[in-house]
Amino acid sequence: MFFRMLKGALFRQKSKMIMIAVTIALGASLATAMLNIMFDVGDKMNQELKTYGANITVVPKTSSVLNGLYEMDEAEETTASLKEEELGKIKTIFWAFNIVDFAPFVNTTASLNGAQVKLVGTWYNHHLALPTGEELDAGVTSLRSWWDIRDGKWIDEQNTDSDRVAMVGAALADRLGVKAGDTVTLQTANGSEALTVSGIFDAGGDEDEQIYTTLAAAQRLSGKQGQLDSIEVSALTTPDNELAVKAAKEGPASLTPREYETWYCTAYVSSICYQIQEVISDSVAAPVRQVADSEGNIMEKTELLMILITILSLLGSALGISNLVTASVMERSNEIGLMKAVGARDRQVTGLVLTEILITAIFGGAVGYFMGYGFAQIIGHTVFNSSIEMKPMVIPIVAVLIVIVTLIGSIPAIRMMQRLRPAEVLHGR
Amino acid sequence: MSLLEVKNVSKIYGPLKALDQVSLKVENGEWVAIMGPSGSGKSTMMNIIGCMDKPSQGEVLLDGADIAKESNKALTAIRRDKIGLIFQQFHLVNYLTAVENVMVSQYYHSMPDEKEALEALERVGLKDRAKHLPSQLSGGEQQRVCIARALINHPEIVLADEPTGNLDEANEGIVLELFKQLHREGTTLIVVTHDPEVAEEAQRTIVLEHGRLVREIVNENFKED
Repeated sequence: MFFRMLKGALFRQKSKMIMIAVTIALGASLATAMLNIMFDVGDKMNQELKTYGANITVVPKTSSVLNGLYEMDEAEETTASLKEEELGKIKTIFWAFNIVDFAPFVNTTASLNGAQVKLVGTWYNHHLALPTGEELDAGVTSLRSWWDIRDGKWIDEQNTDSDRVAMVGAALADRLGVKAGDTVTLQTANGSEALTVSGIFDAGGDEDEQIYTTLAAAQRLSGKQGQLDSIEVSALTTPDNELAVKAAKEGPASLTPREYETWYCTAYVSSICYQIQEVISDSVAAPVRQVADSEGNIMEKTELLMILITILSLLGSALGISNLVTASVMERSNEIGLMKAVGARDRQVTGLVLTEILITAIFGGAVGYFMGYGFAQIIGHTVFNSSIEMKPMVIPIVAVLIVIVTLIGSIPAIRMMQRLRPAEVLHGR
Repeated sequence: MSLLEVKNVSKIYGPLKALDQVSLKVENGEWVAIMGPSGSGKSTMMNIIGCMDKPSQGEVLLDGADIAKESNKALTAIRRDKIGLIFQQFHLVNYLTAVENVMVSQYYHSMPDEKEALEALERVGLKDRAKHLPSQLSGGEQQRVCIARALINHPEIVLADEPTGNLDEANEGIVLELFKQLHREGTTLIVVTHDPEVAEEAQRTIVLEHGRLVREIVNENFKED
């Protein structure tokens, strides 16, 4: 009989139930869209934030001391070096997932047509197969995505057999009359290499006077096989707090074991730097403070905004449900009074009405989920120019939120039902 | 012992005394009419006897137990087990069919039984309208569904509040005929009405005015068929 009553209430009062379902669907759609974006925003923001370049630089310990003492230029040649074979270890640290990109650098000076030019060797879209089984493409193609390729194209390591390729800075190319497809011959004390120019780039900085080549070519020309001058790392970080500042200023040794654990297990830029130093021998990893702070703040604020929109949309739904259910109960007060008059207990009446509303909520929630999927894609394409990946974990979260919101929204109606006395509605007393 | 005994019952709403020291007894199987003009306290009386309200003062003994002292939960159980209610406005659930409306009463009492509910509808002459919604039934038919619902759990007392108030003459006759039949079967009937013709059908009529019991008339012409 319960199901016959339920069926009757659901199918013969369609307009009321549809109103409740629509309210729930709207709330659910916003919650679905915002939660999916929130969970996917990390990846999306990674792509966006990569355009700001690296936020951590790793240099050899000796070089770091010299740089600090004599304010040497980053691209200045140093004798100390990092080991190329240790590069992959960067993706094995505790916060490996937060390392979104990195590139090694080797700097040297070479002679080109009698003029001295700075030569930089690095990765472009270097494919890495890590011991963990993870695979990734790392390099300056994404780390320096703001470079304007005026002529030709980026060096494509994955589709080029030869490592004798180069990209020439716009100012240098203009001065030397070099264009994409030309061959430039670079001479150093370690030999000479004829490099094919893949592209001419405009970086808007000192790089416009430099030549970029592959890591292997630069290592041969500089005689630094298997060695690196620096590594640039792009990592997702959490904004610093007092603990992070203390660790950065006084060193991790100054922290209590409990503080150390918290600091180590939080993606502060200082703890990521510390972990990189642990895996790259004789290195000093230092944050490019402004970039690291900005990225962390942007991420935190974006997620906070999403959470607020989700809460507000669900709050709006709860108010809407509350009004609709209360209005529905008031409209059905005769029916509820009659049920009580013929012997229904409060919990039986409440159970019936709540089941009706929850079934409607599930229907509305399911419709809302798919609407939310659509909203998320619209937002994804408008803001990030890409689709939002729908996270399966959002389904149970939205389902639980819908049930909670529906129950909270129904509280005034439940109280009204329980206070309702049959004599009042059936005989006006 | 009387089936129902009302002793010095008063019901006070603020400054208004809806019932004032009313006493009456109803024997098992008796048919009693409660008459009076609007505002005389008839519906208040019915609410108290029907366990839907409690008196401000006095005792209401049903089967010897004072229902005035019972909790709301206990009153719900008494209503469910001992009382059948018939309303002037019928109060059928508008999204349930006639037979489902009868089964609602069974459901909250014990177990719904569609066959038994159909038999109850057959008894009031509505078996062929069992699958109709209230909106598809006439006023008389709705009242007969309401009667079938009141009788389905075999109550000790059937309380009817203005059962013919919204009916035309033909349907009024059908309903009164059903009451006569119930009385013959031994059902205790208490019918609240302001219609003298309806009251004349009862064995005894109690007249209320301004909340007080002013007269009690025994129907000398009442025939036990």
